[in-house]
Amino acid sequence: MSVDFLHPGEGTAIDTDVPALELRGIDKRFPGVVALDNVDFTLEAGKIHALMGENGAGKSTLIKIMAGVYGKDAGTIRMRGREVDIKSPRDSLKEGIKVVFQEIALISEFTVAENIFLEGYPTGKGGSIDWKKIRADSAALFNRIGFNVDPAARTGSLPVSQQQMVEIARALAHEARVVVMDEPTSSLTPNEVSLLFTVIRRLAALGIAVVYVSHKLDEVFEIADTVTVLRDGRHISTRPIGEHSNDTLIQDMIGRRIDNLFPRKRGAPGSKVALSVENLSTAKKLNDVSFEARAGEVLGFFGLMGAGRTELAKAIVGYDPITSGTITVDGSRLLPHDTRTGVRLGIGLLTEDRKSEGLMGELPVYQNASLASLGAFARLGFVDKAREHRAVQDYVDRFRIKTPSLFQQVKNLSGGNQQKVLIARWLMRGLKVIVVDEPTRGIDVGAKTEIFALIDRLAGEGLAVVMMTSEMPELLGLADRVAVMCEGRLTAIMSRDEATQEKILNAAIG
Amino acid sequence: MEMSELTHASAPRRSIGGQLLGSSQLVLGLILAALCIAISIAAPQFYSEANIIAILRQCALVLIVASGMTMLIITAEVDLSVGASLAFVGCIGMAVLNSTHSLALGMLAALAFAGGVGLFNGLVVTRLRVNSLIATIGTMMMLQGGVYLFTREAVQNHNRLVSFTDLGAGYVGAVPVPVILAALIFVVAYVTLRFTTLGRYLYAVGANEKAVRLSGLRSERLKLFAFVVTGLCVGVAGMILSSLMNAGQPTAGRGFELTVIAAVILGGTSLLGGRGSLFGTLLGVLVLKVIDNGIIILGWNQDLQMVVPGVVIILATYLDIIRNRANVR
Repeated sequence: MSVDFLHPGEGTAIDTDVPALELRGIDKRFPGVVALDNVDFTLEAGKIHALMGENGAGKSTLIKIMAGVYGKDAGTIRMRGREVDIKSPRDSLKEGIKVVFQEIALISEFTVAENIFLEGYPTGKGGSIDWKKIRADSAALFNRIGFNVDPAARTGSLPVSQQQMVEIARALAHEARVVVMDEPTSSLTPNEVSLLFTVIRRLAALGIAVVYVSHKLDEVFEIADTVTVLRDGRHISTRPIGEHSNDTLIQDMIGRRIDNLFPRKRGAPGSKVALSVENLSTAKKLNDVSFEARAGEVLGFFGLMGAGRTELAKAIVGYDPITSGTITVDGSRLLPHDTRTGVRLGIGLLTEDRKSEGLMGELPVYQNASLASLGAFARLGFVDKAREHRAVQDYVDRFRIKTPSLFQQVKNLSGGNQQKVLIARWLMRGLKVIVVDEPTRGIDVGAKTEIFALIDRLAGEGLAVVMMTSEMPELLGLADRVAVMCEGRLTAIMSRDEATQEKILNAAIG
Repeated sequence: MEMSELTHASAPRRSIGGQLLGSSQLVLGLILAALCIAISIAAPQFYSEANIIAILRQCALVLIVASGMTMLIITAEVDLSVGASLAFVGCIGMAVLNSTHSLALGMLAALAFAGGVGLFNGLVVTRLRVNSLIATIGTMMMLQGGVYLFTREAVQNHNRLVSFTDLGAGYVGAVPVPVILAALIFVVAYVTLRFTTLGRYLYAVGANEKAVRLSGLRSERLKLFAFVVTGLCVGVAGMILSSLMNAGQPTAGRGFELTVIAAVILGGTSLLGGRGSLFGTLLGVLVLKVIDNGIIILGWNQDLQMVVPGVVIILATYLDIIRNRANVR
């Protein structure tokens, strides 16, 4: 590998008339599913192009075709006007396409520099690897993107944000002309997001065509020059970002208009205290947190990443141990670190991490829904399946859960429908307090309103809803009162009328 | 990720009938049928009553322990110490039998010991959070060494209890006693897994332990239960084995754990937990033992008794992967 990557584009003047990458008429079928249907996608050098769409719209399939992970069934791919044949990830990289997947594919035991030059270590005399050069070249690459990562650091010890930078440096090392970022901000803090954006803009300034895959509207408006929307495997629109508004983008993505993202049907909250938390502390995070939640109210907790919302959620339902404090549900004290008494008293958690803490992916929908209430359908330890299925079916109908049958493995449902199954799990059990942690994480725009409506309905039915969220609109749209956390402490509680974005952010910074 | 994105649009996959008899069992059933036909063409004595009884008797020991093991593997744990425990249990049961001349007490001692081993394994795994593969290899080594501290040689049968001899060699009508015991244990385990809340929780804990805990259930006790049940099954099997050999043999049970686990895996139960069925395990046991029997009556080299099942396991698992792939897409 030569050092040319330090001076890209020299001698090969960027021709802006010829697209950096042009995909035409791409088809991709999987048995039973048309994942992509005659999709066109054109990238210009030096531009940031957002690729949007709901889950299942075909975004991942399209970028996996670009990355050589999948082969296409039909269509052509041209790099700077030249037709190319991409059969494997290796081909893709050779043609100058680098995809940075959400789940980063670096070898965590190797150093940063080793990872960057994984595909071809520069060698010195006698074929031995020139470590000095690798380090120096790595440092030079980071210099170019304006972000410094220690080339000698063990990759696995770095935060995700820096691992992304390593991937981007790899792209430059391979003289990539196209860099695809797949949902890059899903696990970054706001600070890291703005750093990432700076680097992405820098890539564009270097003449690289950047694809930014996301379903976060605000990010796309901030960073993209052009937006392409896919829906159900078809190309819907490609427009300069300036021609879009929030509404038009959502409309393109879901194919219909959403009039009111936060429908409110419930009345005013009652006065009965359903949950009372006093002086709660945990070993690692929480510090003397006290609050009350009333029946029929949505109490929203806001905080930046690391503020302690998830820790609070897990402590008050009895999942995690606490060091001091009391938790009282509907007048009875909860034994700490004991979900069994928690559930019996009527407090449950709708987890932020559906896959690892909520769903039993391999098991059918009905077993997922009835998990917490199975005892109610049993006689002498034997499950009355007919009664169980009727009860689950009832929720499937009421919540409009889209599933081919009760026997479908829950992992095959969309995120929104999985979330509804988990909400049903708690309602079937019957709760007084439900703690919902990031209730719309990983859920499509269209399904979000349905989840919001469900939360509204829960409160309307008299539950106290404690909602942890990092999404400001969600907080202001749903909560009756707003609590703000910062570094494990509660820094403010205010009513919905008092709450402004500014006040909340101030309290969140501490 | 990609899989789930794509498949929610695909057609329903598991009907009730499909769950009852997932096609992995169908594949296994076909393999079993093919084996039986092939062997009986080559050696017609395969279908003699005596030979069928012999196969069933051979299956009994494995099926008893595999019934417990299926539950355990469904909870995403495994117990490698069952072979070592089997030998130890036989020696202890026989020793107690010799000194008390009571089958009940001998049986009780065997169950207590084997159940205790299961409890120990379970506590190490759930309390100390040692991975069950490692924990039970540790137990296996302790038991393999420990049995020689207990007795240097086989514990001979010094009593003349007919009921003890019957445990291994007796018949009820034409059916051997061990087969009846195995059938009983199998049915109880089957009903538990399929129809009770307990069974459903065992699957749930294997599928997602955290979700089970968040739902207010005690996941650790469920796992502990499965370990103890596996231990108790070993207790029963150990006594039958010592009755068959008319002695407690410290060397017995070598490699037994592999046969048991192989049968369970062959039957389609996932080592990752949350998936599997006892019916599959039954088929798995039958396939392995029919292969054993076939090698003997065809007069093949007996060392193939280890080689062939090894090949079959890899093949069957691979078939299962292909089948899953076809279904998921």
